[in-house]
Amino acid sequence: MRTIRYAAIALALLVPAASLAQSPVPYERIVKSDSEPANWLTYGGNYFDQRFSGLKQLTPENVGGLKLAWAYQPSRPAGNVETSPIVVDGIMYVTEPPSTVTALDARSGARLWTWSPVLKNVVAIGLFQTNRGVAVMDDTVYVATIDAHLVALDAKSGAVRWNTVVADNKLGYAITGPPLAFHGRVMIGTGGSEAAVRGLLDCYDAKTGKRLWRIWTVPLQGEPGSETWGTSVPAGGTTWNAGAYDPKLNLVYWGTGNPAPDWNGDDRPGSNLYTCALLAIDPDSGTIKWYFQFSPHETHDWDASEPPILFDQAVGGKPRKLLGFANRNGFYYVLDRATGEFVAGMPYVKQTWAKGLDAKGQPIVIPDTGPSPEGNLVFPSITGAINWTSNSYSPVTRLFYVDAREMGSYFVKGPNTHWEMGKFPMGAGGERALSGDDAYGAIRALDATTGKMKWEFRLHSPSWVGTLATAGGLVFSGTDEGNFFALDAVTGKPLWDIYLGSSLRSNPVTYSAGGKQYVFVTAGTTYFTFSLP
Amino acid sequence: MKAFRDRRSDLALGVAAAALLFALAPGAQAQIPRDTTPVVAKTSPADIAAGKVRYEAICARCHGLDGGGSDGPSLQGAPDRLGDQEVGNILRSGIPGTGMNGFAMSADEAGQVVGYIRTLGRTADAEVAKGDPAKGKAVYESSACSNCHIISGQGGGVGPELTRVGAMRGPSYLRATLLTPGAILPKEAGAMERGRFTQFLFVHVVTKDGRSFDGTRAYEDSFTISIKDATGRFHTFRKLDVQEYEKLPGRSVMPSFKGTLSDAQIDDLVAYLSSLKGPAAQ
Repeated sequence: MRTIRYAAIALALLVPAASLAQSPVPYERIVKSDSEPANWLTYGGNYFDQRFSGLKQLTPENVGGLKLAWAYQPSRPAGNVETSPIVVDGIMYVTEPPSTVTALDARSGARLWTWSPVLKNVVAIGLFQTNRGVAVMDDTVYVATIDAHLVALDAKSGAVRWNTVVADNKLGYAITGPPLAFHGRVMIGTGGSEAAVRGLLDCYDAKTGKRLWRIWTVPLQGEPGSETWGTSVPAGGTTWNAGAYDPKLNLVYWGTGNPAPDWNGDDRPGSNLYTCALLAIDPDSGTIKWYFQFSPHETHDWDASEPPILFDQAVGGKPRKLLGFANRNGFYYVLDRATGEFVAGMPYVKQTWAKGLDAKGQPIVIPDTGPSPEGNLVFPSITGAINWTSNSYSPVTRLFYVDAREMGSYFVKGPNTHWEMGKFPMGAGGERALSGDDAYGAIRALDATTGKMKWEFRLHSPSWVGTLATAGGLVFSGTDEGNFFALDAVTGKPLWDIYLGSSLRSNPVTYSAGGKQYVFVTAGTTYFTFSLP
Repeated sequence: MKAFRDRRSDLALGVAAAALLFALAPGAQAQIPRDTTPVVAKTSPADIAAGKVRYEAICARCHGLDGGGSDGPSLQGAPDRLGDQEVGNILRSGIPGTGMNGFAMSADEAGQVVGYIRTLGRTADAEVAKGDPAKGKAVYESSACSNCHIISGQGGGVGPELTRVGAMRGPSYLRATLLTPGAILPKEAGAMERGRFTQFLFVHVVTKDGRSFDGTRAYEDSFTISIKDATGRFHTFRKLDVQEYEKLPGRSVMPSFKGTLSDAQIDDLVAYLSSLKGPAAQ
């Protein structure tokens, strides 16, 4: 038995023939990431989380010629691979389930080093033991582990620089999402709403791992905001997905998940702040500058954890700093990201729980659309109109590309059974899912400032694959059956597809190395990269 | 509670499914409670009711209220496939490297949950077939059923295998299928985070160059559809090359035996099919 908590396993297994100039990635370089489209420097490609690449080598005319460049398989894959890599100067930093980080030569797939935490008695309630990606800044790779540690690794070797416990995994805190590294800081959220943990969002010193501040997303009893919870102990509101950052406004944007228990809200009358909300945070003071709650008193498990997308576009002839958010509840929202003001919103899938949004963007809820003891058919389904995957925004087409999930569930309300944090899931209900033939998916292009659909490409089933938009005029995504494909960004016409043999469960990215544009995605437990021959 | 917290590492689980998952889990370690009391399904009405409460509190989130699978896999039939003891082990110890966590409960409580899981998705307990299985076997053979169906390795593979059909389906379901094939179609087993598609769905495809095909859907994704026609031949199409694609629930490549067989013969055939339970559970 290994007795140390974590052990770095830095394996220089294969030395690439061509030298790789690994340069550091200072904060200033990430701010200007759009000026170096060869690299993919943050989880979402840039701080705005747009998942848009300026690369133009692949176009609607030549994308049909894409061929496999290389494939990588983790030596001992376990569970869903849901990773989205970061690529810096020919090196890809990618994660493997549950919490392994591997550096690959981005041109060949050769493994340069790998690091795995030693995990013991992991508690993971209501979530898969997987990891969605790392953050890179200066010469350090940051990863959060399933047992709720935040770890800084040397980018050249995988050696541990520091290892900080974010929260107590025994209570149900677990991390699958990517950190956000900026301006000497690293921010990270956690999962655990199904274990009824108290949601938190942390900021750490990037050099030392010392915690600079913490925001609790739900109040303690008696604190301001607790009046939105009745007499219950506020719980949930976890921060398990990616955040975005606006360097000029110096605001971080992060979504929060469902209140606990999920499907029986009887004991928590009120709006349950700040669950199912978007928080805009001043990272200097660690305070919430504004919030926008999408789904007050949520009872369908529709977390507002989707990665927000920041973009600048005119509305009514006036330039605006905006934030686009395709919510699990079925509505697309446009907010003013400086003030939190609601700008526009409309459904992007079939939804049967709200008549619409009022002038402030709050849902006009249709009565009796919550869970019931016998089951109440409501759209979208329990897994939502979208779940953890990322959307993309193209400043070229000014369209917002979403992988929409058209599906309903019979929502069932169960009793509020006794629970103890970390020991018992806080469900109090569940779903009876519709059959696969009664559901479908679609890649939809929305007018980013209104949500109005411009085109759609239908999918056989609701997918778990994000979208990637490129300046070359392409949108890439995939299917749950195993197809990876490219669409025309303007028309939605399918241009190329390949069957990869197992479900795709990741966000594709693109990068360039050695003068060649590559597209990356995972399927099953294999990591695929495509390029022109 | 102590059993849940205080675990020791032990990779010597003697059950294939769990052992495979353990072997595949990097850095993960087995989580075995010290309480090694055997788990036996408890099936009194009071036990099943207690198991239902616990199931709906902890299991339904991922496995569905009907056990048909949701985020997690289908549990319908799991105690038959794995045994009560193993389902109980997984309930209490989890499967490292997956979303399946262990949950604090005694062997008796686990037995109640297993007892309730045994009731999920089961149509075979509803009624007892009234015909004569031996006569039904003769009807099966004289009706050319084996041209399309396989029992214990013998027969043709156009339709579904029937080796264990009596363990899977109840007499009323079998009767309805013989009289109106395609009327009630089974769903595929639950997969991770995926809706369960209808199996043996009859579809009609017309290609852009005017060719027409009928058959059972064998495979479908966003770009491809494969069907198996009444002769067992597969046809695969790119959806971009398809002019018309219709799902026709209610139809089937299997003929109805209504009017072809007498009521007594149908009863006997149902009794024979109901007797097919496959190899004994391990």
